[in-house]
Amino acid sequence: MFTFDHYLCPKDLREALEMIERLPEDGKIIAGATDVVPYAREGRGGDIHFSTIVDLSRVDEFRGYEIAKGKVRLNANVVFQDFLEDDELRAHLPCMPYCAIWFADDQVREQATLAGNIANASPAADGTPPLLAMDAEVEIARLVDGEVRYRTISIDAFVHGPGKTRLEKGELICAVTCRSMKGYGGSFQKVGQRRSLVISKVSAVALVKTSADGRTFEDVRLALGGIGPVPVRLTDIEDMLKGQAITRRLIAEASVIPADRVASRSRVEYRKRVVRGFVEAAIEDALVACGAPMPTEEQREAAHA
Amino acid sequence: MPDTMLNMTVNGRKVAKPINGQYRLLDFLREEVHLTGAKEGCGAGECGTCSVFVDGKLVKSCLMPTAKADGAEIQTVEGLAGRGELTALQQAFHKTGASQCGYCIPGMVMAATSALRENPYADIEEIKERLGGNICRCTGYTKIFEAVELARDVMNGRLPATALDPDGAGESYIGNNVRRLDAPSKVSGALKYAGDMVMQDMLHMQVLRSPHPHARIVSIDTSAAEALEGVECVITHKDVPGKDGFGVFVHDQPVMARDKVRYVGEAVAAVSAETHEIARRALALIKVEYEELPGVFDPEEAMQPGAVVVHDYAQDNVVKHIPIRKGDVEAGFAAADIIVENSYSTQQVEHAYLEPEAGLAYVDHDGVVTVVSPSQNITHHRHMLSTIIDKPINKVRFIMSPVGGGFGGKEDMIYQGMLALTAMKTGRPVRLVFTREESILSTAKRHPSRVTYKMGLKNDGRITAVSFRMISDGGAYGMSTEGVMRKAAILSLGPYDLANVEIDTYGIYTNNTPSGAFRTFGAMQAQFATESHLDICAEKLGLDPFEIRRRNMMKIGSLTHTQQKLETVSIAEVLETAEAFCRWETGAPTSRGATRTDLGGPDTRASCTLGARFRQIVDDKKQEVA
Repeated sequence: MFTFDHYLCPKDLREALEMIERLPEDGKIIAGATDVVPYAREGRGGDIHFSTIVDLSRVDEFRGYEIAKGKVRLNANVVFQDFLEDDELRAHLPCMPYCAIWFADDQVREQATLAGNIANASPAADGTPPLLAMDAEVEIARLVDGEVRYRTISIDAFVHGPGKTRLEKGELICAVTCRSMKGYGGSFQKVGQRRSLVISKVSAVALVKTSADGRTFEDVRLALGGIGPVPVRLTDIEDMLKGQAITRRLIAEASVIPADRVASRSRVEYRKRVVRGFVEAAIEDALVACGAPMPTEEQREAAHA
Repeated sequence: MPDTMLNMTVNGRKVAKPINGQYRLLDFLREEVHLTGAKEGCGAGECGTCSVFVDGKLVKSCLMPTAKADGAEIQTVEGLAGRGELTALQQAFHKTGASQCGYCIPGMVMAATSALRENPYADIEEIKERLGGNICRCTGYTKIFEAVELARDVMNGRLPATALDPDGAGESYIGNNVRRLDAPSKVSGALKYAGDMVMQDMLHMQVLRSPHPHARIVSIDTSAAEALEGVECVITHKDVPGKDGFGVFVHDQPVMARDKVRYVGEAVAAVSAETHEIARRALALIKVEYEELPGVFDPEEAMQPGAVVVHDYAQDNVVKHIPIRKGDVEAGFAAADIIVENSYSTQQVEHAYLEPEAGLAYVDHDGVVTVVSPSQNITHHRHMLSTIIDKPINKVRFIMSPVGGGFGGKEDMIYQGMLALTAMKTGRPVRLVFTREESILSTAKRHPSRVTYKMGLKNDGRITAVSFRMISDGGAYGMSTEGVMRKAAILSLGPYDLANVEIDTYGIYTNNTPSGAFRTFGAMQAQFATESHLDICAEKLGLDPFEIRRRNMMKIGSLTHTQQKLETVSIAEVLETAEAFCRWETGAPTSRGATRTDLGGPDTRASCTLGARFRQIVDDKKQEVA
């Protein structure tokens, strides 16, 4: 059962930081609240009482996003549904609609924030692999002698273990800033026990930019989730593909390599097999999003022969 | 935060109320605003029975802290249409028969409403995707999707409004679309399930459950719980005035554990308090001292001499053994050209009805102890309860509330006794609503089974003898095990005419969650073994799977192994129809594999994909480019 004494809704960043500075040990910071309420149930956290809840969903500075100088700044209250419904975000973050469609369901996506997803730092978080692939940086704010101070940290440094981030007490995530990927083809693969509302066993993201004639990989960005304590970027595979002519055989060869990255404690063999298929499918789907034709089953089979 | 006032607009009406212990928007809407159309199916955002609109966006109200909705405009299922009216979508649900138990339906109507608000022209793939957060256990979704497509077409003018009118029954109801009488109450959220019912001065019950699979209860100290302000009473087995024990066949289960607990989740004590929250806190104050006992968790182990004994009355741990014999099995095996042996096991299965168990009890003005619950067996429950509470049958009444899905899982009287005892002890009405976790933990499951099969056959596929031995895990209490074992034995060998048969089904006590009634009542486990075995035999003999069944099927005049002479038999027709409908490619199972030609095609379902809504956009862009 989820209970609390006080529920605070700060209106701006300063007020929020002041509230969390005073937040007692048994307090809780929430945004969408889609993780905390189901956690306070039998078999998970059990009955949990919070003295104070600070709900960030009305913080003025956390609303919306800005696109400038090749960067997309996603303020902390951007929710997953925005990646599906907002035309600008879809154009600049072409892998995110595919990520979002696999994330929970329409109703949870209306509440769940990207910032909350990375703050929870689940090894299976759907939001982290795309952020890795888009060189994201996390902007963090805190109060120092009554002044709001900011620091910025890369996403791969920010998430450093299951449930572990570099966020210190008194700090809040203000925004996540990604490179604009306009002109890239994006894709996201995910497998779990059902289609909606499922935690990833494995996820994979790809962003691909091809040469104007569509024959060469100009840039490739790949990352995996759910395969170890933290999501990983596949820079070695990216380097292997960049500048090369696009062939089914090359994609098939590249897709075999990352299986070694699987460092999960369970279902290792299963995950290795999935990773192989996912890297290939992620690249192919991203190419299709660039305008390439979808490979047929026969072409796929031939590439693996 | 009892004193904080919240202001919302709910279905167009201004609401100004304190949170009053209702921490989630779902609880606030149900308990404070008295709108019970939104239900709690899981409390974890998984099932969608609680979906409501908050500022125009559909959300799961079980995931939303009440205070988050302060200042918001809320629309619930009750607010979709005017009083006594139904929206086109609700009418379409009525028309297509989309509501069965109805418990998921308010949420499903909300999700469908949201889908068509977001995209009035959504195609079937997009509709499925947008309804992905809502679970239905009864319909298989087909009727629901039909309803959404029908409503969409009517709302877009592609179909006339009359498409929502009822079809005429014609000369017969059979073969015609007849609307359910109870559908309007379900699609509008008006129907009250037990957990939606409220009585004045009602107490809230919570149950303390065993953390151990097998342990002796040394002592139960309820004093601290009873002393907590707001607690009205705590009951244990000591409060049972009559002969304690219930079950469908053998009355081996006490209302609350007595002397020892036999499975994890068994009820030990029940607290009733002024609020749900106080009752939860009181549970933590009950001290139970256990002496853990070794447990037995495998039915075959439980059958061995010297195994842990679960019930003193059954030293061999056998709940029920059903033996059936026909003909001469030894002679049959001797006459066989081939003998095929194999074993088949099935797992425990949860019923997962969307409505968790709930009940309300009170003692009425005539002193009649009354229990309202979604019981699938009220008459039997009434008789058992009268013995347990030591009252004549005319002083015990059971009222069956709408069953939000049962599938056999609500046949056992596992909580109604506690409600009755509390109502008697306090003189006040009392309600218990299970959480999803509690429902999964404590209620009966499908029997896990192991079948050892031995079959003798002639080279032409005719069966000469069968030995069928099924061992089922009955769990800690008898419940419906005896009946399930009978049914498993009767239906074990399928619709086949067999001369020499030896069947044994055993239901065995273990310290696992009790097994009970579940759709097919034991036939599924047996049929899984029989039909799998026939396919394997067909493969070994190089026969077509339909053919081996035809060579052995029952005919008019056949004598079953329970000595019934059959006057009508439809298996030939069933096989013929099934073969034609699945476009079966004739041949032994070995000749198939990747080369088979009968996969896919009409009436088969494509695998799931996602992204229907933006696939459209991508396609449009491609067309622009072209």
